[in-house]
Amino acid sequence: MRGLWDRETVALLLLAAVLPLAVTWLLAEGAAGLLRLLFVLFVAGVWHVVFMLARAQPPSFAGAVTALAIAVLAPIDLGPLPLVIGVSFGVVAGELAFGGWGRNVVNPATVTLAFLGFGFPAALWPSLPVQLGWSVGAVVLIGVVTGVMSWRAVAGAVLVLAAGSPWLATPALTAAAVVLVVLVCDPVTSAATGLGRWLYGLLYGALVLLFVFGWSGASPVRIAVSAALLASLAAPLLDELAIRLWLARRKRLG
Amino acid sequence: MAFAWKDWPGRKNNHTSAGADIQTFMTDQCALFARAGEDFRVDVLVAEGDTVAQGAPVLRSRRNPELVLVAPAAGEVAAIDLGPGRRLAHILFFHAPAAGRHVHDAAPARKGGDAAATRALLLSAGLWPLLRSRPFGRVPAPAEAPSAIFVMALDTRPDAPSPRLALEGREEDFACGLRALAGLTDGPVILCQDGGPDIAAADGRCRIRKAAAVHPHGLAGFQLAGLHPAGPDRIVWDIHAEDVAAIGALLATGLIPETRLVSVSGPALRETRLVRCQPGADLRALIFDIVRPGPHRLLSGSALDGVEGRWLGRWHRQATAVADAPRATYPHWFSAALRRAGRPLPIIPTAALDHAFGGLLPAAPLVRALSANDAETATRLGALSLVEEDLALADYVTGASPRLSAMLRAMLDRIAAEGAS
Repeated sequence: MRGLWDRETVALLLLAAVLPLAVTWLLAEGAAGLLRLLFVLFVAGVWHVVFMLARAQPPSFAGAVTALAIAVLAPIDLGPLPLVIGVSFGVVAGELAFGGWGRNVVNPATVTLAFLGFGFPAALWPSLPVQLGWSVGAVVLIGVVTGVMSWRAVAGAVLVLAAGSPWLATPALTAAAVVLVVLVCDPVTSAATGLGRWLYGLLYGALVLLFVFGWSGASPVRIAVSAALLASLAAPLLDELAIRLWLARRKRLG
Repeated sequence: MAFAWKDWPGRKNNHTSAGADIQTFMTDQCALFARAGEDFRVDVLVAEGDTVAQGAPVLRSRRNPELVLVAPAAGEVAAIDLGPGRRLAHILFFHAPAAGRHVHDAAPARKGGDAAATRALLLSAGLWPLLRSRPFGRVPAPAEAPSAIFVMALDTRPDAPSPRLALEGREEDFACGLRALAGLTDGPVILCQDGGPDIAAADGRCRIRKAAAVHPHGLAGFQLAGLHPAGPDRIVWDIHAEDVAAIGALLATGLIPETRLVSVSGPALRETRLVRCQPGADLRALIFDIVRPGPHRLLSGSALDGVEGRWLGRWHRQATAVADAPRATYPHWFSAALRRAGRPLPIIPTAALDHAFGGLLPAAPLVRALSANDAETATRLGALSLVEEDLALADYVTGASPRLSAMLRAMLDRIAAEGAS
């Protein structure tokens, strides 16, 4: 008896969930956006094929979600070469070197974006069209109903961002929302326990708020990406914390 | 996770019919057998061709001579098949009602309060193997003292027979069996049941636990993990409610009940039926008149956790016929190599995985520990309370390869071997 929820099903559902965002973004960006997306897809795809042939790692549809996240969020005035270097570094060091999607520790798109941010500090980060923020609602709906995104992580982040919304400008909110669905809610690299997921969402929201107040001159996308990177690095710690608490509660059972 | 085979074309829900309508169906053949890989060395007390009464001793364990297995039905011993080292493979019986029933001497245990006599009676009357001991999910050793006993009056496996139906009219036997079980442990006897009226009266030692009637909450492993986790020095037994009634009947009459309630279902059948048949019944005889044309496989147990075989297993109350998968076309060498190289396949933590663990254990960390063969972490996260059947739903849902239940079994065997040495 074989079930449904293997790795590729989850990857396809994630892809289906981000489709509203992809369509909205392509409508806003037009042909330039499509070209950029295809370029990132091509570079990431080459590395997937290389690892398939050299290391027998089956490629995954999750690579397309990664490519979309990079195309939407990466700095816009980079030439093709920096983009190739960034995508290669993120996809190889963030995902494929660990054994492919499902075994990675950090999201490859987060690694790529952080790499580009630190490697090319003068690059211009994109300002996301406001309708992208609204498409996030549909993404969250599909992701949470199918169970591939954790409602706890979403709820945690939304709580903090809603509490801070009087001080957050629309671009910051849009960037935080888009990063939340394409980077933070990745089921592999987010926290995996109930309490851990709450803490993970809360931490992401809190980091966004902290950077908005304390990081002058940073663009909204950069702030959100940095918050996502730090939150995903802290995810194993949050899980460990949740498990310790769970075990402490079970002490009384003997 | 609510789990029902609503889409099975042959499904007819007759589980709500009254207990009186259920047909008693003794199959012509039945068998005592050991599970694959089980190291059960026996002395055979009968010879081929002997006529044995139902409940008469036929096997004695060489390792624990107190432990005896009895004939599941009255009849003739048709074949005795032992493996190397006198390991039991199977003993086949032909059913012949004229051979009668063996009466055990239950008087010493019946007088009440004597735990040693109860223990001796269960061992000599062949009801002992109905108990299951955790950690490791084995038949308990004769001298073992559990810290708690779980009585499962709840079975949420797809198409499982309702324990309430099995207990209908046997309330006194059940209460008597519960009292006898309480004598075997110093800890609590926990009766797990659905949200309906209490099946037995709770008193000092017997506690009632009401659990949601959705799979996998009706599995002993998750109830145990939530209430009284098993550990290396903390043995917990579980037993099905119908078997507790059998213990009560044995104490009252000295006779072992002839039948158990078994549901026969599966996508390869035209209809679902409930029957009362003997333990070790012939699965083919249970399904032959309702099976759809075409190849099928017979499972002892539910579609999720069933074991392929010909006889109804010791702890099983379901016979399932599933359509044999059409022989897969031989995969291309490259895709086959890719699939093999990736094993164990990564399991993505989704809501489906959490539901497969009932939300009671940290699913993703436990699955990771199992895949990585990290016994220490898995033990910390409650793996010692589980056996294969508890992970069958997770296996089904995630399509894990290799199966999580197989990885758990290998890990449990290794922990047991390390603990023994």
